[in-house]
Amino acid sequence: MLKRFLSERPLRLPHIKPYVPRPSDPSIFWFNSERDDIVSEVVNRICTAHESDRTRLEIALNDAAFHEIRRLEKQRDEEARDRLGYWRSMIRRIGKMDDSEQRHVLHTIVTDMTRDVSGNFDPRVYRFARRAVPRLIGGVMEPRRLMAAAPEPLERVLKVEGDVEHLRRLQSEGSLVFVPTHSSNLDSIVLSQALEISGLAPTIYGAGKNLFTNPIISFFMHNLGAYRVDRRIRVSLYKDILKLYSQVMIERGYHSLFFPGGTRSRSGMIERRLKLGLLGSAVEAFTTNQVRRVDRPVWFVPTTINYALVLEAETLIKDWLMEEGQARYIIEDDEFSRIDRWFTFFRKMVGMRGACIIRFGDPIDPFGNRLGPGGQSLTPTGRAIDPGGYVEQRGKPVVDSVRDAAYTRELGEVLGQRYEQDTVLMSTQVVAHVLFRDLVQSTPGMDLFARLRLRGEIGLDREALCQELGEARDRLVALEAKGRVRTSEVVKEDAPAELLERALNFWSGYHDSTAATLEGNRVVLGDPALLLYYQNRLVSFAEDIASPDQLPAACEIEKLGVHR
Amino acid sequence: MSLRVGVVGAGGFGRAIALASARHGHDVVVWSRQDRDLPEPIRASTDIEVIRDCELIFMAVPARHAVTVAEELGEVVDGRHSMVHVSRGLVGADLKTITQVIRDKTVCRRLGALAGPLVVDALAEGRPSGSILGTGFPELTQMVRETLGGAGLRVYETRDVIGVELASATVGFLTVVLAYAQEIGLDPSTLAVVATRGMVEVSRIGQTLGAKESTFMGLAGLGDLIAAVAGDDRPEFRLGRALARGAKLSNAVGEVGTYVEGIDVARHLIEHARRLGLETPISSTFAAVTEGRMSQEDAIQALMERHVGKE
Repeated sequence: MLKRFLSERPLRLPHIKPYVPRPSDPSIFWFNSERDDIVSEVVNRICTAHESDRTRLEIALNDAAFHEIRRLEKQRDEEARDRLGYWRSMIRRIGKMDDSEQRHVLHTIVTDMTRDVSGNFDPRVYRFARRAVPRLIGGVMEPRRLMAAAPEPLERVLKVEGDVEHLRRLQSEGSLVFVPTHSSNLDSIVLSQALEISGLAPTIYGAGKNLFTNPIISFFMHNLGAYRVDRRIRVSLYKDILKLYSQVMIERGYHSLFFPGGTRSRSGMIERRLKLGLLGSAVEAFTTNQVRRVDRPVWFVPTTINYALVLEAETLIKDWLMEEGQARYIIEDDEFSRIDRWFTFFRKMVGMRGACIIRFGDPIDPFGNRLGPGGQSLTPTGRAIDPGGYVEQRGKPVVDSVRDAAYTRELGEVLGQRYEQDTVLMSTQVVAHVLFRDLVQSTPGMDLFARLRLRGEIGLDREALCQELGEARDRLVALEAKGRVRTSEVVKEDAPAELLERALNFWSGYHDSTAATLEGNRVVLGDPALLLYYQNRLVSFAEDIASPDQLPAACEIEKLGVHR
Repeated sequence: MSLRVGVVGAGGFGRAIALASARHGHDVVVWSRQDRDLPEPIRASTDIEVIRDCELIFMAVPARHAVTVAEELGEVVDGRHSMVHVSRGLVGADLKTITQVIRDKTVCRRLGALAGPLVVDALAEGRPSGSILGTGFPELTQMVRETLGGAGLRVYETRDVIGVELASATVGFLTVVLAYAQEIGLDPSTLAVVATRGMVEVSRIGQTLGAKESTFMGLAGLGDLIAAVAGDDRPEFRLGRALARGAKLSNAVGEVGTYVEGIDVARHLIEHARRLGLETPISSTFAAVTEGRMSQEDAIQALMERHVGKE
């Protein structure tokens, strides 16, 4: 009951003393006053696209009713009791409705769905969150600091890399679309803090409706610009609404954030196959502005979120192994929903230097071109070009959704490459890779699942391991010099023995099982599945960092990533 | 509607494309490094600037020149341009396709790869022929059909750009193998098995690079191979025959008198497959024979004794 109430009607603060935005405030501060206008623009565009074609309209209504009935029959909850009757009666009547009745029903459905998606932004909640969240996280990590006026320890855990100054300049000239890698449900929280630390404006973002069932998270999500995405709804109109909502917001100059991977990387690998729906909405926002002669560029910021310890690592890798990542799209019972795990996680992170690194990559235009200081699109040799040329046909900008879909696929490819180049490899990932490679090397011919059953059975000489670790690190640093990938400061600076100890400390006591432990002079592999998860970040580089005798094992590891 | 067409490269393919485009009434300019004599109304130039005003660009240079030519094009093209290449090769050990090279070196994004059983003379003279265009941009297909299509050339379309480029590049190598097999007197049925299974082999490798199997079995792959075997006098065919007559690879290449991209492509493909643990019986056996590591008889025996699985 409460779950449904919160997800349907999230809490808002009363309008006793509403905040009046100032001209210098970011665009999102005006969102509440523009919301109705945005909702009606989305509704009008969707309805106009369907109304001129009766067949298309009927298919859309039938599709909506069919999928909603199916979903609600499965859900068997209060919502089902309320809404099933409506949809069942509608699906029987669609064929008998005249044109105006069908259009009316479409309008009602689309309006309800768009309102449900649209978020809220309360500057008061934003200002409170700016102060409270770092202290809260800091307090969890070090309780004695909770009441103290001491500076928050958050910045010790969270490090921001990249040309933030460039992004600060661009944010007042166009719409920035942050497109990060996705490993954890903490990503949006961590990223919003990174934006805050960097002096960048808050963004709108889509959040799974399942996240709104936790009252505290629901309150913040709802009041900080999140729009709600109910992944259970399979209706094609709903997907159109989500994309168009995102598009209209970007057209209007709202900075935006979404995860092109769609869902958290189950394997721990860097995402290569991206979902193109929301990415396409941003490309179409650029085209629409060009056609309307609105001079508001759209720029993408490839961003990597790099954790030394991933809150939900065990559940994610288990899920990947069960069905190679396809088992469950929405996981509601993982570590993210367990508050005790949050405490252990944050406590673990605080003691460790460089435990989380957010790297803002160099921004690009919708066609993958890098940008000059003022946002000009540049060729590889630095010549400025007009990005509007990409959407011209015979000298005139035109909307062409098929062409834009092709540009979006290309952009997806570019982002995949940029994720690799901008990934910052962390201590746990490098150590896990070397350990896992040793496991593969010492079990030739064995399949992956047989290897994963070897819990506590393989021990490695610590000294030899440190030697391998040092060599792998040196090769990674050489790859970094070529711009292929990045490594964290500790990976670069620590002696191999320190690096090993750091990774073992990260793992010890957080996950239910231990990835590896030190027993005398031997490092014993605990849970190979956890090692697999952390090392998967390196699959693309396995061969480059292997010595000739490690090459067969490295090739086997690299094969894991072929169909990524 | 008349288009401004630029052709980069004035070799056989470049000239044929220029002639076909001009025949369709388009305004054609050809760029090449050396002065060329081309029939009116085709204009020829050695200044890359002439390409800047073109709407559609055909890049018709061998793969080994693709990087430097793309760099030069990078200075004159922008987002308004559309570009199609007709190269049959790949670049470097990491099997980079020509569209990838163009994407790296220029800001042109409306790209396509034209391949299949294209024959230079037929294209130049407008004799019936067919081809496949790999592109994500239907408007580009439309432009190519307007420029080269019509009664002379059927231009089919696929979105599998990398598939078209890989299939086209590997057909060169398979042509060498088939010419070799024919020259040493293998039966037509054996040739058919080598052609079909060879195509399966290269398509398996192609799929690891993102290509679709169906593209290898279509015009870009099998279709093109049939044209090669039917005798459109490709240098790859002459190379295969020379090797079968016992010539060393370097001598055979000299005998053919032109650079054959298929050999380099095969070498890199075999290496790529080895790293991924993929089986490449036909390619690897052929490489062993041509490098003198295996006799013809042993090669045939080794291939025939392999385990036979499902198709």
